[in-house]
Amino acid sequence: MNARILLKNLSMPLALAAIWIFFALKEPAFLAPRNLSQLMVDFSIIGTLALGMFLILLTGQIDLSVGSGVGLIGGIAAVLTVQHGWPAAAGLGAAFLVALLLWALMGTLIVKERMPSFIITLAGLLIFKGLFWRVIHSSTVSVKGVEENLYSMISTYYLPAGMGVGLAVAVVVLMAVVQWRARAARITHGLSALSAQRAALKFALMGAAVFGVVAGFNQSHGLPMTFLILAVTAAAVYFLTQHTPFGRYLYAIGGNEEAAVLSGINVNRVLIGAYGLMGAATAVTGFMQTSYQGSSSTTVGDLMELDAIAACVIGGTALKGGRGTVWGVLFGALIMTSLLNGMNLMGVTPEMKYIARGTVLALAVWLDVRLGRT
Amino acid sequence: MSAPLLEVHGLTKRFPGVTALSDVNFTLARGEIHALCGENGAGKSTLIKLLGGIYPHGSYEGELRVDGRPVSFQGIRDAEHAGVAVITQEFALVDELSVAENIFLGRAPCRGFCVDWLEMQKRAVALLKDFGLALPPETPVRELGIGQKQLLEIVRAMDKRSRVLVLDEPTAALTEQEVEVLLTHLRRLRGQGTTCIYISHKLDEVFAIADRITVLRDGASITTLETAHATVPAVIKHMVGREITDLFPRKAGSSAASSAAEGATSLRPDEAQPMLSVRHLSVAPARGKPAFLRDLSFDLRAGEVLGFGGLMGAGRTELLMHLFGAWGHRLGGEVRLCGQPHAHSSPGESIRRGLVLASEDRRRYGLILAQEIGFNLSLSSLREFTRAGGRLDLPAEQVRNQHFFGALRVKAPSQHTRAGTLSGGNQQKVVLGKALMTGPRVVLLDEPTRGIDVGAKLEVYELINRLTAEGRAVVLVSSELPELMGMSDRVIMLHEGAVGGEFARTEFTQEKLLAAAMGHAHAA
Repeated sequence: MNARILLKNLSMPLALAAIWIFFALKEPAFLAPRNLSQLMVDFSIIGTLALGMFLILLTGQIDLSVGSGVGLIGGIAAVLTVQHGWPAAAGLGAAFLVALLLWALMGTLIVKERMPSFIITLAGLLIFKGLFWRVIHSSTVSVKGVEENLYSMISTYYLPAGMGVGLAVAVVVLMAVVQWRARAARITHGLSALSAQRAALKFALMGAAVFGVVAGFNQSHGLPMTFLILAVTAAAVYFLTQHTPFGRYLYAIGGNEEAAVLSGINVNRVLIGAYGLMGAATAVTGFMQTSYQGSSSTTVGDLMELDAIAACVIGGTALKGGRGTVWGVLFGALIMTSLLNGMNLMGVTPEMKYIARGTVLALAVWLDVRLGRT
Repeated sequence: MSAPLLEVHGLTKRFPGVTALSDVNFTLARGEIHALCGENGAGKSTLIKLLGGIYPHGSYEGELRVDGRPVSFQGIRDAEHAGVAVITQEFALVDELSVAENIFLGRAPCRGFCVDWLEMQKRAVALLKDFGLALPPETPVRELGIGQKQLLEIVRAMDKRSRVLVLDEPTAALTEQEVEVLLTHLRRLRGQGTTCIYISHKLDEVFAIADRITVLRDGASITTLETAHATVPAVIKHMVGREITDLFPRKAGSSAASSAAEGATSLRPDEAQPMLSVRHLSVAPARGKPAFLRDLSFDLRAGEVLGFGGLMGAGRTELLMHLFGAWGHRLGGEVRLCGQPHAHSSPGESIRRGLVLASEDRRRYGLILAQEIGFNLSLSSLREFTRAGGRLDLPAEQVRNQHFFGALRVKAPSQHTRAGTLSGGNQQKVVLGKALMTGPRVVLLDEPTRGIDVGAKLEVYELINRLTAEGRAVVLVSSELPELMGMSDRVIMLHEGAVGGEFARTEFTQEKLLAAAMGHAHAA
């Protein structure tokens, strides 16, 4: 029993390690700082979208429209910025608002008209794709005009090494304060708390991880902007799901919607809120992905909804709702992107890549079902 | 006489951290109806899952024998082969299929690869006739009442040539008439040689039908009694391991007036403003539908327990759900909560205003089973722990949860245990805890003791007394007349959505209440 729980908890780190070792042996360039840095950019983009999807899956709903949405929102920002000459910040802001509106609308249709989210968002997938192609006139719209702007810098800006270290120090200090206060609060309430040594050890490990990540990035260009966006998103989603009533309600609705209603939860408002946040995550992902590709073209965002769902599921999020963690989602996204990146390096054909992705997804769910049973 | 039909020897079943059964022994004689009694968590469900092959051989210690020969069931099919059919509370019927298709589910009569529909219909009609069910065999099962579904399960088991029929709480959701019909059929089957294991919390039924009674307590078989030589108090004593002298601790006269006078409310309740006041309330299931609740008027005062009784479908649950803001479209009338108009709002709004509901079906409506006890306890009260910036004060929440977890005496390793793993009585305590943590003034309780054991019932009754002593008001809906009469200060019987009769405690008799429930208020 204990071995099984241990195996379940360690299954994701072990799978990730196995994937990395496999690719490192097959293709030494996999572990080169340059490739790892690129891997982290891919990871940041998928991870951000997956964190949004996580909120939707927790409630037992689904969103198939986000892949098209990534293209559409990135495209709107590109057209406004480059073709209409808006300042990049204004173009991005306007596109972001469009995303919020569209997703709030889908959420409203789902809760008020009781239409299944699968259908609404499938319709969204098609409609957004069509809108997207109209917006960019089925052509290619670059994200930068004559010079770099905020939009193009999302994927090209790297934090200089010194600033990266400074940021790491700030984050570690913040973590120390938060952890110390949380521990003190537990003690004043007479609850069990980690012993001072253990708390210090935990803190030291987390601090080492933060500095390790920054040092790793500094081997190459420094901390990518996209990674910072992911880190902020992950921290926000973690706070939301673990430390706010809204997050509790997501789990409650996914666990038992009828009981959630009778517990006094305004289920409709929570669901619309979750879709609104999904819209925000889609917009941010759209900006990163479009910027990363350098231009908005008809294939941007293709099948990303499936990568996001796969990352969540690989990370242990239940499709029927009520179960999942932010850490799991991040691991799932990292596993997905490592596979894609490694296969790219090895020159695997696109058809084999599809097959491999599908197999990994099926395998992850199978493992989850097998190990999840008591 | 040859070996007993079924024997259980030294059965021990362990789950991680819990021993569900320890060294259970009992013997089933041919042609008897043998009742299993015990509190929730005593191990009855585990035992019948072993008998039915749901927990396979090897997952437990001890021996099962059928006709004196050891058997090792690997699954439900093996058990069915040996003639053991288990009928659980959740019916294994497919609602969308017909009665005939359900009877022959998985073993339809065939000619070649095709189902022989004619043969199926013929056999179904014959079987149904045996049970006096005048149902066309093509009726979809979803159109059947619960009692009919129960009988259909038995019909199916009998067609499988089952020799041992195991019924788990068969009457939990049946009306009194349906119970009578069921018991009559069981007696008839016994006359034809079928053996039956009968599990029920309702001891009057057990005494009406069982030949012998085996009592389980804390996973062990305590004793087996001949019904003819046993008494209800004796069985209860074995079940709880202590004597319960007062099944309904609320005493006439001591309730509303005196407890309120003790200090929680300074006014005598009948002088105080009613906490809940309902006038000419009419409610339809949805806009455009005819009224289902008709012209209801009543008052509820601080420190009072107002009971609602009635037959199935009389509108008791709907009334509570409507007051709570979770059901129906109000056609007319007025509801006032502590003097303020209480329009048809939402459950969240009701909770904020001090009205809370603990619903009848706790697994479906009450709990998030996959989450911890603590998660469930505080789910309706999270506002209380929300600090600046929308942040939850987790330590404060945990302390509060721990307080309710302890005060309600939930039997579980800790508040971090998953709610789905608890027994019925303990789940009910969590549902009540969730409602009470909101600090309500009016508590609506829908069947708060359904399917829970005697000991847990007593704790619920004591809780009701505590609530009224604190000056809160309670609405109690119950299908069990003794409970309704025992715990209410006043009772209103509903009949087809309207008031069938209202009774003060001094006027209670079972006959009067039943007559009112059936629409003959003045006949009795």
